[in-house]
Amino acid sequence: MLLSSISFYSCEDVVQVDLKESEPRLVIEAPILWQKNSHGNVQLVRLTTTAPFFGDQIPPAEGANVSVFSEAGVEFKFEEIESGIFRNDQFIPELNKTYELKVEYNDEEYRAIETLLPVVSIENIEQTTSGGFGGEDIELKAYFTDPPNIQNYYLSRFFYEELSIQIYEDKFTDGNRTFAYFSNEGLTPGQEVGIEIQGISKRFYEYLFILRSQAGSSNGGPFQTQPTTVRGNIINITNPDNFAFGYFRLSETDFLDYIIQ
Amino acid sequence: MRDAANNETLYGVNIIFPDLNTGTITNEYGFYSMKIPAGKHQISVSYLGYQTLSQEIQIEKSESLNFNLKESSEILEEVVITENFERLNIGSPEMSVTKLDINTIKNLPVVFGEVDIVKSLLLLPGISNAGDGSSGFNVRGGAVGQNLILLDEATIYNGSHLFGLFSVFNPDAIKNLKLYKGGIPAKYGGRVSSVLDIYQKDGNSKNFHANGGIGLISSRLLVEGPIVKDKGSFLIGGRSSYAHLFLKLIDNPNSAYFYDLNTKLSYRLNDRNSLLFSGYFGRDIFNISESFKNTYGNAVFNLRWNHLLSDDIFSNLSVIYSDYYYGLTLDFVEFNWNSGIKNLNLKYDFNHLLNDKLSIDYGLQSTYYEFNPGEIEPSTATSGINYYKLTKKYALENALYLSVNHKISERFSATYGLRFSSFFRLGQDFLNIYNNDNPLLFNEDFGIYEAAAPNAQKILPKNEIEKTFINFEPRLSLAYSFNDSQSIKLSYNRMTQYLQLISNTNSPTPLDIWTPSGKYIKPQLLDQIAMGYFQNFKKESYTLEIEGFYKKVKNRLDYIDGANLIANNAIEQVILSGKSRAYGMEVLLRKNKGNLTGWLAYTLSQSEQKTEGRTALEPGINNGQWYNTGYDKTHDISLTASYQLSERWLLNSNFIFQTGLPTTFPTGHYKIENLTIPVYSDRNSNRLTNYHRLDISATYTPSRKLKSTFTSSWNFGVYNVYNRKNAVSLNFRNNEDTRMNEAVRLSLFGIIPSVTYNFKF
Repeated sequence: MLLSSISFYSCEDVVQVDLKESEPRLVIEAPILWQKNSHGNVQLVRLTTTAPFFGDQIPPAEGANVSVFSEAGVEFKFEEIESGIFRNDQFIPELNKTYELKVEYNDEEYRAIETLLPVVSIENIEQTTSGGFGGEDIELKAYFTDPPNIQNYYLSRFFYEELSIQIYEDKFTDGNRTFAYFSNEGLTPGQEVGIEIQGISKRFYEYLFILRSQAGSSNGGPFQTQPTTVRGNIINITNPDNFAFGYFRLSETDFLDYIIQ
Repeated sequence: MRDAANNETLYGVNIIFPDLNTGTITNEYGFYSMKIPAGKHQISVSYLGYQTLSQEIQIEKSESLNFNLKESSEILEEVVITENFERLNIGSPEMSVTKLDINTIKNLPVVFGEVDIVKSLLLLPGISNAGDGSSGFNVRGGAVGQNLILLDEATIYNGSHLFGLFSVFNPDAIKNLKLYKGGIPAKYGGRVSSVLDIYQKDGNSKNFHANGGIGLISSRLLVEGPIVKDKGSFLIGGRSSYAHLFLKLIDNPNSAYFYDLNTKLSYRLNDRNSLLFSGYFGRDIFNISESFKNTYGNAVFNLRWNHLLSDDIFSNLSVIYSDYYYGLTLDFVEFNWNSGIKNLNLKYDFNHLLNDKLSIDYGLQSTYYEFNPGEIEPSTATSGINYYKLTKKYALENALYLSVNHKISERFSATYGLRFSSFFRLGQDFLNIYNNDNPLLFNEDFGIYEAAAPNAQKILPKNEIEKTFINFEPRLSLAYSFNDSQSIKLSYNRMTQYLQLISNTNSPTPLDIWTPSGKYIKPQLLDQIAMGYFQNFKKESYTLEIEGFYKKVKNRLDYIDGANLIANNAIEQVILSGKSRAYGMEVLLRKNKGNLTGWLAYTLSQSEQKTEGRTALEPGINNGQWYNTGYDKTHDISLTASYQLSERWLLNSNFIFQTGLPTTFPTGHYKIENLTIPVYSDRNSNRLTNYHRLDISATYTPSRKLKSTFTSSWNFGVYNVYNRKNAVSLNFRNNEDTRMNEAVRLSLFGIIPSVTYNFKF
């Protein structure tokens, strides 16, 4: 935000760069989401591999075996319904229980363990008009009350033209009524927006924090943070150096539809 | 030694007795002292910008000889005075020093037409920055936080306005400046890479004068005059930018501006005592649509007493208070953030002449620091933010030094000294205690570094010492002159830095914090050796300086991947200790006389960093391999030329060529949560495109009406004449519209014309 205000003299140009290519690595995107007041029985896991930077498509990782085990040892097998996309429609989510992910791919086994974290409800949506650089964009605040004396972390998603993601921690807002914030200059009255909050773990919050700084928003320049390799929580049991990118996590979610006034 | 027109003391004036083949220079306060045999002698007093005084004097006993030098421009007629250049001191052990005269700086073409000390220093060898729009400067491959910046002996923490677009120094208020890249005398300490020592003018104690300028981005006005004629003077200067007003005109609620205030009061009590008071106050303000307000800046106040204990001993006692403040208000989230550093500093320095071959400098210094890493408070009753305060830290830094200037023989001179420095980290509320004193763990399963949770918190009163550091810093400089115009020099210095600038971006931001060494952070230790060859050609028409240097630093901090440094109350949980080194060669060829003057500066260097894992299982940073620092430039060439076309017109130009800055290219990508994540190769193993640009400027000075003290000049400039889009960064990202990945080059300054009007009366 700070850099944008002095970028009145700056210039962005797309340029040609020759890049080396690294060996493909497995990427496991395994978000188990349980929306309040629903069964949460349908869950999807997506497997892809890394691709050359300027390549077209992300190649799917096919032919893997994907399962999630509950604390009690019940196995939920995931079926490959489409190339690289695995589905289970009999999942039984339980709050605060631990689950284990097991993926077999290319004769190697990957595992991850996480807990299904609850989330508070969205109480209401407030709409104001003072967002953006012009101070005129419509802003939305989705209010919720943070549980006191616990370290809570949140992921919020806004479904509008394209998906927008924010992450929050309650370091400064513990126990208070606080909000998830969204603003876009394209918002106009009558449009429908979807708003969701998810309860996430501290480790996933930190993972997303780094991931977002790496994703390269429109900022760059001297305030860029250092490029790093972002490690998730998935371990390759067979060959630890051949780790997978991505994260296995389970969250309770709350979703609201909202029409701009 | 004073300026005849305004009584300003002059620093660095050459006093030479040609028949005795001996001489000296004046110190920062215009004082000099010499021992010569009784009798009749020729004396020659010369200084850049002033007429050389040559006269015969008769010395029978100890005497006080004061000189008032006349500016060379006072002889109006046609002939251009040939003494206008910074003399190279062949025989002196001083090396690795850059001295730039304010008048030279004022004529160099710069971005937006704003005269800037730091931007001008960048044109000299060994001095660089991390690209357009970056804050601070890098000396011999050193980091920005390793430069000691002094304004009238007071430490300045952030030398930049508007994120590096301008420096905080108002050129009208500055008398002289000196940058030590190496061979740093024992008098200085506390930062490892360089010392930028800047002195403000004292003020004209003869008449009232004003000095000012109006430019496109900022304007300045300085007023000086006598309080008591020939004894006391004052100086007040202000500078402010106003480009943000254009935004107001178009109803844009954003603004970004800065202002500076410089003041000085000086009073000469008698021949042996003077009192000086200096003050500086500066602020940067950013407002984004009234809901985001950011203010930061330095304030320093300084009281000094110059006292001649005897004819041979000059002393200076300073009491300095400095305050660096950073504040942020976010209305829509309803909180205020304050952070800063305060320090109180006492210095007592002596220059003591023992005999005609030996003089010594000695003194002591003590600084008390209070660090406020941050305090966040809700700004309304309904705010969802809780009050949170990061633990304040306290420290005491001290030094004792002795330096000997020894003229060993006609051809051989040396300066050798020792600085004994100590640092006491004092008690604080809430010092984290960890298992095995280890705040940073390595998770072997996930292959990542993780913060350790403290298992206790210690509370120690502020007046007790938590940790002590003691260091001996030897300094040595040698010079051997083959003859009057050729010499070789060698220097070695060890420096210690107890305060670390915590920053993991390529260029520091005002959010970066200075943190004191302590239980978990050791001080940086540097060793530097340098060697050089110096020569004057054709009676000082040309000078050549060639220097090679090698420096290494221990305990250089590095950050774990993804370290979040903002509002982090436990920095020790995200840092690793490593080392850095830099080496290179600098060449400076100057043409000093004639209508065409200028210089060619070339630096060939390497600056790198290495952080190994603490055990064989840990990767460290970049797998424990050396990697280029973010400001490493293999080749750095500056060509500066100044041509006096006529009495009225002075033309200037700069051409700069530099190797592109290091960057990291991706070798692949993947998608998570709809985000495109690049997969990276070795840190800083790639380069941006090479940087080059040409600037030109012309200064027009209309003829001065006789009997009028009013002079003015117009400066017309063009920055980046051929509009090269020099890359500041290369950003690899996914295009929102086409959904394809692309590499985007960010460049800041294209071709920028400027006009500035300067006046003096």
